[in-house]
Amino acid sequence: MNQGRYLRRRIRNLVFLSLSVLATGFGLAWLVAVLGTLLYEGFSGLNFQLFAEMTPPPGEDGGLLNAIVGSLMMNLIAVAVGTPIGILAGTYLAEYGRYSRVAFVIRFVNDILLSAPSIVLGLFIYVAVVLPMGHFSAWAGAAVLGTIVIPVVVRTTENMLLLIPNTLREAGVALGAPRWHVIRHITWRAAQAGIVTGALLAIARISGETAPLLFTALNNQFWSLDPNAPIASLPVVIFQFAISPYEDWQRLAWSGALLITLAVLALSITARLLESPQERK
Amino acid sequence: MTMAENGAVKVAINDLSFFYGEMQALKKITLSLRRNKVTAFIGPSGCGKSTLLRVLNRIYEIYPNQRATGEVLMDGENILSPRQDLNLLRAKVGMVFQKPTPFPMSIFDNIAFGLQLYDRLPRSELEGRVETALKRAALWDEVKDKLHQSGNSLSGGQQQRLCIARSVATKPELILLDEPCSALDPISTAKIEELIAELSQDYTITIVTHNMQQASRVSDFTAFMFLGELIEFGETEKIFTTPTKKRTEDYITGRFG
Ligand SMILES: Nc1ncnc2c1ncn2[C@@H]1O[C@H](COP(=O)(O)OP(=O)(O)OP(=O)(O)O)[C@@H](O)[C@H]1O
Ligand SMILES: [Mg+2]
Repeated sequence: MNQGRYLRRRIRNLVFLSLSVLATGFGLAWLVAVLGTLLYEGFSGLNFQLFAEMTPPPGEDGGLLNAIVGSLMMNLIAVAVGTPIGILAGTYLAEYGRYSRVAFVIRFVNDILLSAPSIVLGLFIYVAVVLPMGHFSAWAGAAVLGTIVIPVVVRTTENMLLLIPNTLREAGVALGAPRWHVIRHITWRAAQAGIVTGALLAIARISGETAPLLFTALNNQFWSLDPNAPIASLPVVIFQFAISPYEDWQRLAWSGALLITLAVLALSITARLLESPQERK
Repeated sequence: MTMAENGAVKVAINDLSFFYGEMQALKKITLSLRRNKVTAFIGPSGCGKSTLLRVLNRIYEIYPNQRATGEVLMDGENILSPRQDLNLLRAKVGMVFQKPTPFPMSIFDNIAFGLQLYDRLPRSELEGRVETALKRAALWDEVKDKLHQSGNSLSGGQQQRLCIARSVATKPELILLDEPCSALDPISTAKIEELIAELSQDYTITIVTHNMQQASRVSDFTAFMFLGELIEFGETEKIFTTPTKKRTEDYITGRFG
């Protein structure tokens, strides 16, 4: 064995190892710093009042209830409408249209939609919904979040279904089951965890969207459940309060940011947990 | 063919060719599957045995660019006809694949799936038929206490017997077995061979196998295929003792393949 080469290789190995550790440490340090600051600044504000009172005018006490409810409402509508559409479209792509031209085009358009900046989608909904209606509304906010949800769910659903081996479909079809029956009872079930994970990740994705909401749902200082009216949402309130000069608004913005982060964290962990037991053999 | 022989034919294959896109995988195959007999397909890997079975329930139709020409008469009706109802055909023709394909549901539901497709069975009858099917596939004793566990929790060999149980449960007229024992231990294999013998009293069976002893043990007729062509077809005993073609003899005696 050539001693020189062996030594060189060991040195090179050491260098690369140190570099990777450094890079990882660098990335993690920022993450820890972000989470740490968030906890430090926002934790004290996580109290009952936050969930019980409306966003206050400057200088007064208040909470984020209307913003939390607004976010929940728009997310719920977006997911309730977007997920079924996304799952059905993804199923079409993976099951029926796998080799067809139409599917090719849909897949292509979906990929564009998936990577489109959300502000562009916001602009689209502004033109398509807000202008004709004549005012900002929760509907418009939900619509823009829905257009973000759909491509995510289409993509994950298609990918998860493509992972299901064809032999499983053949086995179902060979028993005389119609195609939709096989999809409903066999392939969907086999891909269930992955599809649910996709939906959860879509929720996580829209939870922090701010820009497209600014000119669709706008904001609302007051309690509102009216989908036809402008509505508050956590990200927009955080944005508004964080850039304000008022100390107490800034405190609320920190708490709101922590709240979103915790919610997204919980979604991601749930998605992970759903994924793992299915990974058999 | 005389009238008497005609009645004994379950499936008559005439001039059957098959194409994967441009590639011709079957070349003008003509042979008959006798009613209530076991027909074995043997031949080297890639010669078209699986392809032939896949024509008999037209499972290939779920893929584009795959097509068959010629005629396959099942009880006198051409199943390759565009008017053939595919789901009905597949309900009459059971298929077991080389690799086990349990559905992502409980052991019980795996069997019930096919049973409930075209019949609305009362619960007690459903349970009875599931039990019978599992017993026939020699699996009942191993799973009777865990019918509601996932089919995926079984071992590979158990999964394969589950799949066999699943396809015999619906009482198909024709059963296609594509190397059903390749993942099984000798004891399960013996049980499956027993099952084949028993099933052939009521059903017509075809089996693809790479195991010459198995072919000679379980089948009444044997077809030897090579590169998409049917080289020799006849009674198993004749094929294995006095084959007329040199290629058949070479393959059976293990000189190639
Ligand atoms: N989906 C497919 N697309 C294109 N060609 C295929 C496809 N499936 C099989 N073939 C080809 O058709 C021929 C016959 O394949 P087939 O699977 O019927 O062989 P086989 O006799 O069952 O082989 P084995 O004993 O290995 O299972 C082979 O040359 C194979 O490459
Ligand atoms: Mg094969």
